[in-house]
Amino acid sequence: MLAPKRVKFRKRFKGRTKGMATRGNTVAFGHYGLMALEPGWISNRQIEASRVALTREMKRGGKVWIRLFPDKPITKKPAETRMGKGKGNPEGWVAVVKPGRVMFEVEGIAEHLARAALELAAAKLPIKSKFVKREER
Amino acid sequence: MAQIVSLAASPRTTTGKGAARQARFQGKVPAVIYGHGRETQSLEVEAKALEKALTGVEPASTIIELAVDGTKTRTLIREIQRHPIRPDIIHVDFYEIHAEEKVKLRVPVHLAGNPDGVRNAGGVLDQVTREVEIEVMPDNIPDRVELDVTALKIGDSLHVRDLNIPNATILTLADLTIATVVPPRAEEVTAPAPEAATEVAEPELIRKVREDEEEGEGAAAGEGGAKPEAKGGTAAPAKGEKTEKVEKPKGGKES
Repeated sequence: MLAPKRVKFRKRFKGRTKGMATRGNTVAFGHYGLMALEPGWISNRQIEASRVALTREMKRGGKVWIRLFPDKPITKKPAETRMGKGKGNPEGWVAVVKPGRVMFEVEGIAEHLARAALELAAAKLPIKSKFVKREER
Repeated sequence: MAQIVSLAASPRTTTGKGAARQARFQGKVPAVIYGHGRETQSLEVEAKALEKALTGVEPASTIIELAVDGTKTRTLIREIQRHPIRPDIIHVDFYEIHAEEKVKLRVPVHLAGNPDGVRNAGGVLDQVTREVEIEVMPDNIPDRVELDVTALKIGDSLHVRDLNIPNATILTLADLTIATVVPPRAEEVTAPAPEAATEVAEPELIRKVREDEEEGEGAAAGEGGAKPEAKGGTAAPAKGEKTEKVEKPKGGKES
């Protein structure tokens, strides 16, 4: 699963997600993509589940790009622990996603196959998303 | 040869985000024209007319004949800003050109044909570069550059030096890859992940950990490890953290 190799700090503030994606909001590598329509946190497990669904549906054809990286540590307090006594232990990693972010891209397969594969990948994510095509410029 | 499309625009006196939003509400797109030593001028164009003009053409390599207050100017589109989610155009940059002056622009590269490596060996055609920068006289602007990829086998690639654009100088690096045929992906065997693998392995810290901090962490790790057990979580970690909290101010005073 995706996770940083080295980090500056073990724990991070929760933060607030405001506005829309000003970068990474176009299909840049492949021909088709999956765009986020809501803000949210995508965990490395969800990214992995989407990737598996996507590649399995595409079988052996095509190429996949994952344009998310879970670089934010998420902490959790152990079960049956009283509140207080400091922040919990790191339990996982998430990618912060803003609306407009192209999360996955594919190339080398027909549109109907790409649409079906990205729909399966979208079902593994906690946010609404839509299928997008590269703009012919 | 590049296509020529006509479009009407009107000067815009108000500027700024409020005025631009008002224009968009009224079905107009804020625009700007510059280039060829002329003073930059703010414009606005009808959104529907702009969408219609750009349908079915390559915007980067299409000459737009812009009519501003009855004066026609030949321009190229330098930039189109779009809404992050909706397909709406929110701003356009027009760049004035003159017939006797060379212009620099990016033209799209289109791949023609089905490569041999894709047809017979199941490879995937990967287009790495989708546009190249050229310098050309306005009359010779190509609509697009076609590149035949039929002969490509697995592992083969085509580069910018393989392009042939008549009457134009290619400014993009000659060694840049345009398209390559990559071998098919191996079938993935997904074994069920063992429980240990799902545990969060803590990454290495970039910064230097202070000595007193290290001691505190070491004590906490000795008690519970990276993922403390739920049962022992109530009493033991609380102790560890308490001692850590007491130690920290001490360390601060000393340093």
